[in-house]
Amino acid sequence: MHNAFKRTAGALLALALASSAAFAEQVLRFATWDSDESLAIQQAIAKKFEEAHPGVKVQVEAYGGDGYDQKLAAGFGAGNPPDVMYMWNFPQYHSSLMPLDDLIAKDAAALDIKDIPEGLLNASRIDGKTYGMPAGFTTHVIFYNKDMFAKAGVEEPKEGWTWDDLRAKAAKFRNEADKTYGFAVDAKPDPFDFEQFLWSNGTKYISDDGKTLDGYMNSKEAAEVLDMFGAMAKNQEAATVNVGEVTSASALFKGGKIAMLEGAMWNKSGIDESGVKYGVAYLPAFKGKPVQSAISISAMSIAKDAKEPDLAWEFVKFYTSPEAIAMRKNDLPVRTSVAESQGMTKDPVYKPFFDVLAVSNKERPAFLKNLKWAQIQENLALAIEAAITEQGNAQAHLDEAVKRSQRFLK
Amino acid sequence: MAAMQAGKRRARFSITPYLFISPWALGFLFFTLGPLVFSLTMSFYDWPVVGERTFVGLDNYRTMLMDDPMFWESLGITSRFALIYVPFNIVLSFLLALLLHHARFGVGFFRTAFYLPSVISGVALVMIWNWIYSSEYGLLNYMLSFAGIGPVNWLGDKNLAVVAIIVASLWGLGGTMLILLTGLKGIPRELYEAATVSGVPGWAQMLFITLPMLGPMLVFTFITSIIAAFQQLTIALLLTKGGPQNATYFFAMYIYDNAFKFYEMGYAAAGSWIMFLIVLALSMLVMRWSAAWSYYEGELKSKDGGHDA
Amino acid sequence: MRKLFIHSALTFLAVLFILPFYWTFLSAVKSTAELYQFPPVFWPAEWHFENFLTSWNKLPFNTFLWNSTVVVVLSTIGQLISSSLVAFGFARFRFPGRDALFILLLATMMIPWDVKMIPLYMEFNYLGWINTLKPLIVPSWFADAFFVFMLRQFIMTIPLEIDEAARMDGASSFDIFWRIHLPLMTPALILVGTFHFMNAWNDYLGPLIFLNDQSKYTLTLGLALFKDPHDIDITAVASITTLLCVPPLVLFFFAQRYIMEGAVGSAVKG
Repeated sequence: MHNAFKRTAGALLALALASSAAFAEQVLRFATWDSDESLAIQQAIAKKFEEAHPGVKVQVEAYGGDGYDQKLAAGFGAGNPPDVMYMWNFPQYHSSLMPLDDLIAKDAAALDIKDIPEGLLNASRIDGKTYGMPAGFTTHVIFYNKDMFAKAGVEEPKEGWTWDDLRAKAAKFRNEADKTYGFAVDAKPDPFDFEQFLWSNGTKYISDDGKTLDGYMNSKEAAEVLDMFGAMAKNQEAATVNVGEVTSASALFKGGKIAMLEGAMWNKSGIDESGVKYGVAYLPAFKGKPVQSAISISAMSIAKDAKEPDLAWEFVKFYTSPEAIAMRKNDLPVRTSVAESQGMTKDPVYKPFFDVLAVSNKERPAFLKNLKWAQIQENLALAIEAAITEQGNAQAHLDEAVKRSQRFLK
Repeated sequence: MAAMQAGKRRARFSITPYLFISPWALGFLFFTLGPLVFSLTMSFYDWPVVGERTFVGLDNYRTMLMDDPMFWESLGITSRFALIYVPFNIVLSFLLALLLHHARFGVGFFRTAFYLPSVISGVALVMIWNWIYSSEYGLLNYMLSFAGIGPVNWLGDKNLAVVAIIVASLWGLGGTMLILLTGLKGIPRELYEAATVSGVPGWAQMLFITLPMLGPMLVFTFITSIIAAFQQLTIALLLTKGGPQNATYFFAMYIYDNAFKFYEMGYAAAGSWIMFLIVLALSMLVMRWSAAWSYYEGELKSKDGGHDA
Repeated sequence: MRKLFIHSALTFLAVLFILPFYWTFLSAVKSTAELYQFPPVFWPAEWHFENFLTSWNKLPFNTFLWNSTVVVVLSTIGQLISSSLVAFGFARFRFPGRDALFILLLATMMIPWDVKMIPLYMEFNYLGWINTLKPLIVPSWFADAFFVFMLRQFIMTIPLEIDEAARMDGASSFDIFWRIHLPLMTPALILVGTFHFMNAWNDYLGPLIFLNDQSKYTLTLGLALFKDPHDIDITAVASITTLLCVPPLVLFFFAQRYIMEGAVGSAVKG
């Protein structure tokens, strides 16, 4: 008995040690925040790259769930980052990333950079240098439940609709007995995405030089946006999620509890799976003003001291090649040629995503403008939450947020 | 009798005790001391994840104590949480352990049931509590609706959200309960038998046998509960994300945000050190105070002897 | 009467504790439509037991299971050996620096994880242990403060006369530890084993930080891959969670009898 136990322990130990033995081949570490199906896509692309490059193993490191930022911080902090990684937080990390401009210039012909919309490249530029290549992106749209619209006899959204139209439609879906609503308002939205509503109403969080909040974050237009969402919650045109209702808006949409969902490509596969019959509409406008959407980009960056810089660049190039981009089904192709050859720009489901992309290159997201944006954003998020929960009084909360953020502007 | 106490037995120096504690001592040197010194150093620096690190002396501590309202707010929230959570955790675990101790059938099943929540962790916890507390679709409000109580916004109300988190945390008291139950089982039956024969009433047996005999375990659960209360992060992070309007923004979350949202590693290290010192001070207080009322075996013997004679 | 009260109270509480677990199980086997139905469905119309297999096969969970098993088994063994030795040292000897060291030990329990994370990462990186299971196993062989503290408190309830008697028979300190205390401590050791098993089994942050490659992932990391900031695969999370609960629960169900009966036994013998 005793010996059997010892033997098992010994065997386990031996195996644990053996499994840590190094590979003889070249290993390229690639970190992604994707999970579930999107992750499977990344692995498939990596496999393709391995096939084309014998002797190379791409180690796809999925820091799933909410752990990506923490894991990356540990890796960089200890000087052991992955060679290639998804990156969004360029202001924080750019000093440890490899500038790609020379490489892009060198491979200009093969890369065909003109095929990638300028708006997608801009997000990875700091002080005029490019630190990332876009591999996929998404803009924002409104998903709507076709069956619910038909059943309630509400006309489906049309091109050029406004928030007033959306609110009028939403009001018709409210049913207390089976707990359905027309729309959902998120009390804790990601402020990065939320800025699109300020842009669409003619303002922004912070001045372009990143030094002034007053008159931007707490402008009349910003307060209007918050008051509007507050009013939607108050009049029961929308369910309020993330305050008391932790259920996500997308879960409610998938369960047929809300008729319209403000969302992006990351919602699509879940909705497809749920079997809800849906249509996709352009983001509504604030009356008489142009719409602009937030653009979320999965950009590929290379660590400055990557062990295999050439191989890493090969990999990034492959990732942005038409072949690889065509494999990405859970976000949108960054190459216009791929989008067109797949007929996506005509497909009613995808068209609104591309239409809004074409007009969404006027503003830069706030986090690119101020290094302390993460801290400022906390105060902003608090104001958004307060305004939506209290269903009004936005101006006072925004003023408070601006006041509390002054110490980060120095 | 006093001569029997552990210490007096070995008057001369011996290497043996050090050999016994050497695994911990080595582990401390390898895996704790280094990181600790390192983080203390970090706390004196402006330390971003990447890029320039600058020595700033006590600036991190000064900013935190003087200029950062979130420091005091989160510390206040955590203290209030601890003030409620710690006593409830111990008292409820103790009561549950007592119930189980006196149960006659299905004991294994009940023990397993109460320990069940401690087995579930992470992502799943959040789903479960979302479902319970959700104001529109939640189980709790569904149940309450039968009693004619209108929908309560458990996680949306500033005061209730803290209560909701306390309840969710208490749900995981299985571990504490087990420790106390094991302690209860370890109390020699003879003590109670003797007391019953001498006509000592039940409440007095509880007061003079159960509680003192359980002393070391109670101290243990007291201290570990304090630690747990101050390090409380997962549930709040997943359930309320600190809201509504920062009503559940715990101190641990404040440190976490500084490190992984704002990438102010030095500032976060300073926060951790403040937390560390607070918890350490509280635990020392408990230890000192408990020495007054908790009987260890050595002392117990002499006292017992006194009774019998 | 008293018995009736005790058992009704226990039953009521047990339902409270089990209900959420039952719901997790239900979420795993419900159809998507029923998942969001209101009022909540407590007995689904169709039971989709195949969800367990589908979810398990979505990711290489066999590999994750193997890794978790290696970590849990090896670290539990280490924890039991080292913690009991150290606890005995602190409980039964008086030596210069003991109290200071014990306070130091207690203090290590209070160090927040954030403080240690990056330095530890650097250390393990230096040792070449990143992306191996070693950071999750080796530290357990060096006695965790929580368990040392717990075991020490247990040992303090064991009468000293037992030690004295053995010592008069010429037993060495190690003999006393090995032949007398270890058997007496068995219930407490099983408790430590169970707790450690649970911690290691459910640990998320450690594996997240120290492992890179999916072939090294543990079960909790695999589970987290079903959730990203924008969406969560409820069916998959619920299925895997339910499955993940089974081994600890089975272990606990058998261990707890032994913990309790052992405790009673030792007291009677003592």
